[in-house]
Amino acid sequence: MLDVLARFANGRGFWPAIPAVAFLTVLMVIPLVLLLSFGFSDIVVARGVIVSQDFTLDHLTKILGDRLYLLTFQRSINLSLSVTALCLIFGFPVAYLYLRSGTFARRAILIAVIAPLLTSGIVRTYAWIVILGGQRGIVNRTLLDLGLIDAPLRILNTHWAVLIGMTQVHLPLMILPLIAVMTRHDKALDEASANLGASRLQTLRHVILPMSVPGIGTGATLVFTLSYTTFVVPQLLGGGNYLNAATMAFEQMVYSLEWSKGAVTSTLLLVTCIFFIGLFTWASQAATRWIRQEGVA
Amino acid sequence: MSGAKRLALTDRIGVAAIYAIGFLSLALLVAPSLIVVAISFDTRSYVSFPPVGFTFDWYVKLFATPELIRAMWVSLKVGLIVTGLCLALGVPTAIACVRGRFKGRQALSVFVLFPHMVPGIVLGIAILFAGATIDARPSIGLQSLAVACFILAVMIRIVMARLMRLDVALEEASANLGATRLQTFRHVVLPLLLPAIWAGAAFTFIEGFDNISVAIFTHGHRDRPLPVELMSLVQNDNTPMVAAVSAAQIALSVVILGVVSSTLGLEKLND
Repeated sequence: MLDVLARFANGRGFWPAIPAVAFLTVLMVIPLVLLLSFGFSDIVVARGVIVSQDFTLDHLTKILGDRLYLLTFQRSINLSLSVTALCLIFGFPVAYLYLRSGTFARRAILIAVIAPLLTSGIVRTYAWIVILGGQRGIVNRTLLDLGLIDAPLRILNTHWAVLIGMTQVHLPLMILPLIAVMTRHDKALDEASANLGASRLQTLRHVILPMSVPGIGTGATLVFTLSYTTFVVPQLLGGGNYLNAATMAFEQMVYSLEWSKGAVTSTLLLVTCIFFIGLFTWASQAATRWIRQEGVA
Repeated sequence: MSGAKRLALTDRIGVAAIYAIGFLSLALLVAPSLIVVAISFDTRSYVSFPPVGFTFDWYVKLFATPELIRAMWVSLKVGLIVTGLCLALGVPTAIACVRGRFKGRQALSVFVLFPHMVPGIVLGIAILFAGATIDARPSIGLQSLAVACFILAVMIRIVMARLMRLDVALEEASANLGATRLQTFRHVVLPLLLPAIWAGAAFTFIEGFDNISVAIFTHGHRDRPLPVELMSLVQNDNTPMVAAVSAAQIALSVVILGVVSSTLGLEKLND
């Protein structure tokens, strides 16, 4: 193993990458091309093996003409945009706290942000079932005890539960890029602004916020794409009656076994997802350019 | 109140509000996991917080449930295979991407980092289809290959970041002093790369162990990995045993966090 690696080590050639390129071609490129082609064919499955395919535009035209799909994808986009906005609102202050903290507090914040990322999403979603769940849930019991409500609120298995849970689960993905860009710029810029008599809010508004734009772009892209494509949170907190694009593809593939439809839904998911990544990247670059032109004002 | 004083007051209130949201967010990040751990020791047979007693019964029950033990073994196997694959494929690729002197080096980086932009659900479905055309049924093997494909980019990126910061002069010096390529790699490059390799291994292992988005479409029907088992458990079981399984997973993530912070360091990870 070591010898093989060693021969790669100081090499200047392409060949150390050949195994990975071959691996990704077989496991990613070919399957994605197949997936795309399956949207245009009738899939017949016999004992787990796909045996016959005929070219047809039926599935695509049926799905593109179906209002259910339009509504479902719209719901996904709305949800993901809301989650992205909420993550920014709750995430930015954490990054600001980090910027203002000493070594020890910074370490504690990093642990609090990275630890959830290493914990299974199902576990973190399950915690929200406990918190939001029926009468015995923490939220409802507290509100009932305080006399703020007479009957338990129905939060679990609604849009709100999905929104709350998804925001918390994806929050670290917004905070980490923000911390990275904020700390990359020297504290000096910030101090210079304070020395020139700017208040902390003015420094935040005119120095820290503009320089955070690339981080907001990266964070928003990560949060949006994951919110757009995860089926775990909607499936568990939406209680099976919350349908978005990801849960739709999931149900077509796993429960109703409509593979042709599943192929089209997941292709649409991929194409729209890449479109949004492009859009977010473009917006972030445009905003950065605009700020640079205007100067830090 | 003078203008300056009012400005100072708005400043203080504004910053206090931002700090308050910051602390709230941090609490929201940590609290749910702590609640789950607390509930896993509850004596009641339904899930409620705060717990009223203390017992290890749910952990005893967890280790007496054969499906869960089996699922842990499956996930452990997948985690190890994924880590091995990502080490073998990712480290050389990162070296080629950073140290390579050939046309299309940029294109290579884009190509190998691209899979992470493909949503897990799409990759999982695509690999399930591709497997079905050649009779490669869902299995531990297929699941491992699929998850490795999904997470390989993370390993490559961590090692690439470290390599870019290494001074090429060190390797040149080693060569000038008469070291062979093998010696330079073993005694100069590898030791300097090790922290990144360890951190990458920790991340790819946890993904192999925990991944559901790819795994749910590619896992073997008799070899259900832990996340798949846990997902159906969360939907169908209302006892604190689900919390116990979750707490065990939280313990694992703490171990992984320890590995990452003592090798690469949490700060460097996020640069």
